[in-house]
Amino acid sequence: MSTAPTTSTATTAPTTVGARTGGLVNTTLLRLELRRVLRDRATIFFTTALPGFFYLIFGASQDYSDEPLGNGNVAMMIMVSMAAYGAVTATVSIGGAAALERMQGWGRQLGLTPLRDATYVVTKALVAVIVAAMPIALVFALGAVSGARADALAWVLSALVVLVGAAVFALYGLCFGLAFRSEAALSAASGSIVVLGFLGNIFVPLSGLLLDVARFTPLYGYVTLARHPVTEGLVVTGSDGTRTESIWIAVANVGGWTLLLAVLATLLVRRGRSRQ
Amino acid sequence: MHRTDAPAIRLRDVTRTFPSADGTVRAVDGIDLTVGGGEVVALLGPNGAGKTTTLDMVLGLVAPSSGSVMVYGAPPREAVAAGRVSAVLQTGGLLRDLRVGETVELIASMYAAPAPVAQVMARAGLEGIAGRLVSRCSGGEQQRLRFALALLPDPDLLVLDEPTAGMDVTARRDFWATMHAEAEAGRTVVFATHYLEEADAFADRIVLVAGGRVVADGPTAQIRAHATGRVVHADLDPATAAATAARLRALPGVTQVDLDGSRVSVRAADSDAVALALLTGLGGRGLEVVTGSLEDAFVHLTEQQPVLEETR
Repeated sequence: MSTAPTTSTATTAPTTVGARTGGLVNTTLLRLELRRVLRDRATIFFTTALPGFFYLIFGASQDYSDEPLGNGNVAMMIMVSMAAYGAVTATVSIGGAAALERMQGWGRQLGLTPLRDATYVVTKALVAVIVAAMPIALVFALGAVSGARADALAWVLSALVVLVGAAVFALYGLCFGLAFRSEAALSAASGSIVVLGFLGNIFVPLSGLLLDVARFTPLYGYVTLARHPVTEGLVVTGSDGTRTESIWIAVANVGGWTLLLAVLATLLVRRGRSRQ
Repeated sequence: MHRTDAPAIRLRDVTRTFPSADGTVRAVDGIDLTVGGGEVVALLGPNGAGKTTTLDMVLGLVAPSSGSVMVYGAPPREAVAAGRVSAVLQTGGLLRDLRVGETVELIASMYAAPAPVAQVMARAGLEGIAGRLVSRCSGGEQQRLRFALALLPDPDLLVLDEPTAGMDVTARRDFWATMHAEAEAGRTVVFATHYLEEADAFADRIVLVAGGRVVADGPTAQIRAHATGRVVHADLDPATAAATAARLRALPGVTQVDLDGSRVSVRAADSDAVALALLTGLGGRGLEVVTGSLEDAFVHLTEQQPVLEETR
């Protein structure tokens, strides 16, 4: 073998590293990722159509739907809850799919391009937010035409909390995908959201011991905060009507779970790297 | 194109270990390798030889545990970001729910100045299936798509990891015809394979890898010469077999002497001289002369690796 010249390697280093396309969002990636999501009919059904249907069944069509609650009515509270459920289902599935596709070789393909990790993460997060906005838009529209009532500000703030809070649960999907590495794990993650939805006081008002336990489950804080602009701290319970609860319980719940999921996702990513 | 004054690839004493259930695995165990501009090099070796790990380090997908990896005089990540090196990966690497054309468009969007998408699609023979979902493509079509993605940055160095795995004979022939055109256009091509015929037919130079190390490196013709020699088998007097084997090793042109009990196998360029020596002065009986194949050379060179390990 010939020996290569060992001098002046530094001067031949490419200088175009900084000249990468765009900033933190790759619009082609955004467009094509959204197209992929829309192509997946099952996901669209479970994240958008189903929550809308749930709202009509459990909210709009019930006798109690127009009973007053906070500055609005019960239908409004159920509308926010179902929008939250749909948004979380969307972000969990996108987070999980992102973990899986990266491990199934797409990460290696992207690793062969100048695409920065930050651009990938920000663009994917934007995809998650846009997809999460779909059930929110549908359920809120259904609510608007079928008797959900609250202050105008409550509509805006609730929608925002649902949207921003849902992003946290992209981490939940990410953890499932990273830990179990299979399509089945993603179905399990989505399925577990239904269970956590019940435990999180989303579908049926809980009471007693179950409500005490519920306060520690991941969806409880999120949905309580999302309802707060309407309920102003009132919690509907299964047995004794309503009672008030400090907003800090919900804040602590969301903060704790965000931290836990972020740490877990970081550890799982590190484990994945060391195995490569 | 780009400046090509530094070698395309320069590996210096590169190792890579991975944690495993029982301690650590040394996938790459001290590889030195320099590939110049315009060379077509085959990294030939059995599965688990360390080919993929070596190429992953060249591409910056895996960092070496020790040693240095330079691509055109720069760290691999910089060479990748500058579009000087790209690769066709062995498995995965595609999203099943994207269309073929969308996939090319997507990867093109990540480069500052990609080759025109239509031109790349034509060169990889994808125009007819641009609208097809990746999940509906055959293995050969998916591999052509990966090849198209690798052409997007107009790279100086093309790395191919087992590029024809899973292809049928026709697809394989077509793929290498396309690759010939790229090599003739002046691209440096480094490919990993465990198919001898592929290395023999396409590469100018073969780097034989086994046990995470380079066991032979030279022009394809020279590696083949290893094989065109013959192997002489003979029975020796058990009492003096070891001493006779030592004398055989000293004969000119002898590359390998193996002793199994009192049966000796001698690999040599001039088998007639060995046979003559065995029959006249060395007391050899039951003589047998066998022509080696490239397959033999491959097995021979890769199998002696564990022996070297033990004696180190």
